[in-house]
Amino acid sequence: MKTRVFILITAVAGIFGFALLAGPRPINPFAMSGLDREILLFVRLPRLVVAALMGGGLGASGAVLQGVLRNPLADPYILGLSSGAALGAAAGIVLGVSFFGALTVPLLAFAGAIGTGLLVGLMGWRRGGIWPERLLLAGIGVGFMLSAVLMLFLSVSSNEGLRRAILWIFGDLGMSDWKLIPYGALLIGLGLAIAQRRAKALNTLMLGDDLSHSLGFSPRKETALLFVSVGLMTAASVALGGMIGFIGLLMPHIMRFFVGTDNRILLPASALGGGALLVVADLIGRTVMSPTELPAGMVTALLGAPYFLYLLRRRDVIG
Amino acid sequence: MSSDKKKHDFILELDNVSFSYERELNLIEDLKLGIGEADFTGLLGANGSGKSTILKLLAGILKPAGGSVSLWGKPMTSLRHRDRAKLLSYLPQVLDMRVPFGVGELASMGLYPYGTPPELTVAEALGMVGLSEKRDTLITNLSGGERRRAYIAMTLLQGAGILLLDEPLANLDIKFQVELIRLLRELNSTRKISIVMALHDVNIAFQFDNIILIKEGRVIGTGTPENVLNEELLKKAFDIEVSVHRLEEGSFITY
Amino acid sequence: MLRVFLMVLMLFISVPAMADPPKRIVSLAPQITEILYALDLGDNIVGVTTFCDYPPEAREKPKIGGMSNPSLEAVVSLEPDIVVMTTDGNPKEFQARLETLQIKHYVFTARRISELPDAIRDVGAALGVKERADEFAGELQRTLNGFRDKKTVAPLRVLFIVWPEPLVVAGPGTAVDDAIELLGHENIAAGARLNYPKYSLEEVLRQAPDAILIGGMGQEDMKKVSVGLLDRLKNTSAVREGRVYYMGDGLFRLGPRVVDGIEEMADVLDEACK
Repeated sequence: MKTRVFILITAVAGIFGFALLAGPRPINPFAMSGLDREILLFVRLPRLVVAALMGGGLGASGAVLQGVLRNPLADPYILGLSSGAALGAAAGIVLGVSFFGALTVPLLAFAGAIGTGLLVGLMGWRRGGIWPERLLLAGIGVGFMLSAVLMLFLSVSSNEGLRRAILWIFGDLGMSDWKLIPYGALLIGLGLAIAQRRAKALNTLMLGDDLSHSLGFSPRKETALLFVSVGLMTAASVALGGMIGFIGLLMPHIMRFFVGTDNRILLPASALGGGALLVVADLIGRTVMSPTELPAGMVTALLGAPYFLYLLRRRDVIG
Repeated sequence: MSSDKKKHDFILELDNVSFSYERELNLIEDLKLGIGEADFTGLLGANGSGKSTILKLLAGILKPAGGSVSLWGKPMTSLRHRDRAKLLSYLPQVLDMRVPFGVGELASMGLYPYGTPPELTVAEALGMVGLSEKRDTLITNLSGGERRRAYIAMTLLQGAGILLLDEPLANLDIKFQVELIRLLRELNSTRKISIVMALHDVNIAFQFDNIILIKEGRVIGTGTPENVLNEELLKKAFDIEVSVHRLEEGSFITY
Repeated sequence: MLRVFLMVLMLFISVPAMADPPKRIVSLAPQITEILYALDLGDNIVGVTTFCDYPPEAREKPKIGGMSNPSLEAVVSLEPDIVVMTTDGNPKEFQARLETLQIKHYVFTARRISELPDAIRDVGAALGVKERADEFAGELQRTLNGFRDKKTVAPLRVLFIVWPEPLVVAGPGTAVDDAIELLGHENIAAGARLNYPKYSLEEVLRQAPDAILIGGMGQEDMKKVSVGLLDRLKNTSAVREGRVYYMGDGLFRLGPRVVDGIEEMADVLDEACK
């Protein structure tokens, strides 16, 4: 297991370094022009950090959520947080809110996602804690409702900005800059820290509430705490660069094949794997059709899905 | 029965407990029940008699609407979850079989309540349940009996003096049933663990030291199998005529 | 039998009748509406899209839905003599539905500025206003030629931004690109493979445009949403030396007002050359 973790960390570090220097126009770190330096520090590096944070947050929150809901199909977006983010951004644009300048859309998206998270958490709350089934259904219901409101906005408004807000929600890393990164890192780091501290409780929750209780945890409270961690990571990730599919749903499964089910290792592994995958996807997205950029979310799925299917097939042959 | 002395010995006790699930009539009313140290107790009753509910009340999973549950003389609600876990383990009837933890990984979850592990090691616990060879096998690849034993290894590491099991013999072959009873009996005598097991099979009930017979959430008989498992009480509990045969090798019923 | 014969006869008779302009026209795109007004067919329009806002009186016409999602029911209920649609914005399926319902329609296919005069001649011929269309198209052609002949002496490298975040720019094959070329300048995004590509910020920095144009309706709004982008581009000569200009949406519609759009672009780029 130690070797596997070591391999994973080395691979991720290598990927980050490579993605920073490679691209349609590679940068030689030993012979950088002024322009190269500017591009490296203010375009590529923030973009890489945002991709790593988003992918990491999604990977880890997917792993947490699949454990809490005891459902291998759970995806962080299933809680409706992304719909809330889209609606928040769109509503702000329609109402002409712009007092945060360039941070307006991300802030509105974050507010929408957190607001949705609170609503879903409230609906999932009963008798002193959160119940997984209620949470899942509340998330799906609230998500549908918010998407419908968003569609209503889109149908009745000819505001061009609205369409663009929707476009933004579908994922864009190209405009990443340093401004958002401290907040994103703080929120995703906080979410990851909570989840990591409660990883033992999450392991027991996967066995069922009664066993979790028997092993010395309060399943309702642990579920609530873990939901807060998922909410922070997902909302921050959507606010950083919109929605990126695949990672939250399938990276935890890929990592389970690789490091096993124990969440104390799985959570950081999913974060590392998710971050690395999004960084690679973004590298490919900005390279293959340069100077046109492909959406990273599409590339993650194109890259990740076949690998996942391969693992699935191989495991079936052995098991 | 010198009830005063007995009551003092109880390490886990329900006192005048009442409980009902939401929007239903009281399933359990004024229930009194006690478990002593190193007991080997069968909680016997028909399906739907409230065995599982009583077990969950004993485990502290369900909170009584009235009355109190005490563990080693202290109210259950006054104990921190972690401290309670060091005294009391519970295994549900249905054990998850989808999450691919390794056997050793699963067993070591029994150590979660502890900062520093107690004297028993994971290898020893797996040895005691006969799963030494399967430490790295995934629980998804075990048979039903093996999986049950892996969870028992977990409770052994948990080190609690009381083990509550909800219908652990259900869906097991006769061989696994016998093996599991033997294992629990051994743990009961060597490690002084109080075992409380919900069950509905009267013939297995004869193997316990102590039987609590349940009907519709009430205790209708308690004591040794010889005293409790008679034709009159069994008809009351199961609503069917049975004959009890007592032989030197053991007792059994026919119907 | 006689009735069928008469109906067939009617079909033949109705064909030469089209020499007169159709009385009931439905337009499925804003630039079509503008062209129809320019050809003096405004009074004959009975339905437009929700996006048809020019000329102002077009807003008073009954609406048949959006460009990408026109309502078939609304179109049919207007009993149009002809529906004029475009390949640039209307769904192909809609044309198929019109065909099955045997509703006469004309499809406008021009996407480039150079194609516009001929396209106007064709649509005019189809709508029985050939003379007016020829006259209008001739005038348009002369204006366009005028722009070309007035070629600038100092060609600029230009980036035309359609939306700042995500960065979407006008690429090859667009009216914007045509206009930049017509005025003798260079569109730095001409090498992209899409009409409106999502463009790499890194490339903008490397290609260092001399002038940045930001297009779209509502210039104040565009200014607000562009703050972040321009901050990222602050080291390019265009931003540093103040050659960033906000323009209207004239070039986004391949209609009569494309001339105004080119005019506007010519003015700001002339200023940029100084």
